[in-house]
Amino acid sequence: MQLSLEEVAGVTIVLAAGRLDFAAAQPFQVQVEAAIAAAGKGVVVDLAPLEYVSSAGLRAFLVGAKAAKAKGVGFAVCNLRPEVQEVFDLTGFGKVVGVHAERTAAIAAVSGA
Amino acid sequence: MNPLRVSATAAVEALDPLQAALLDFWAERQLPDQARYAFELALEEFVMNVVMHGQNAAATKTIWLELDDNPEQVCMVFEDDCAAFDPTSLDTPDTSLGVDERSIGGLGIHLVREMMDQVEYARADGRNRLTLIKRLANA
Repeated sequence: MQLSLEEVAGVTIVLAAGRLDFAAAQPFQVQVEAAIAAAGKGVVVDLAPLEYVSSAGLRAFLVGAKAAKAKGVGFAVCNLRPEVQEVFDLTGFGKVVGVHAERTAAIAAVSGA
Repeated sequence: MNPLRVSATAAVEALDPLQAALLDFWAERQLPDQARYAFELALEEFVMNVVMHGQNAAATKTIWLELDDNPEQVCMVFEDDCAAFDPTSLDTPDTSLGVDERSIGGLGIHLVREMMDQVEYARADGRNRLTLIKRLANA
């Protein structure tokens, strides 16, 4: 998978593209944890170009959510494709990490956290 | 068309060739894209399960994959000769829990069961056998 980072008003946006499978999960988790450690207000993972996520990938979101909570910053995802949304829905991961339709809503939610 | 049958040594490295075989099978038979995710996910979850639970003598163990389709459904049979392990016996995870109470265990098989129409485990002839069936929506 490919990751790119940008900063919007104190919020770190991680754009995640490709496949978040078992092989990609560990490096992705390291990046997310680093982004949270360095974050001002919080981190939004934009999943618009993400094609696939498995349970190994979900683990990285759970670790990220725990790290963000421990640090007291926001953590959210946005722009889920229908297949990825289904994985979040079937596992109840919307209760673990904030899920938003659009990036602006995710940034607003994270900034207010 | 005849079923597709492939095998691989039970190791993490098995996933790439088995996944390539799955994608070729899907393209060759012009199956609907929206049904493919469940099979990709099942393949990853079960290869990783075998590698984790059958680790002891993994280099001498084998994974077998069989895929077959008809106009109504796609069937995937997944076998390994590792120690007996029934993933369908795992407790269903509590998907209502928030970040503090949440653990990751059991989510893979949970997803597979939710996405497939039928999931059956059997142990026979020294092999674990999982049979997964998904009906095609437009059938």
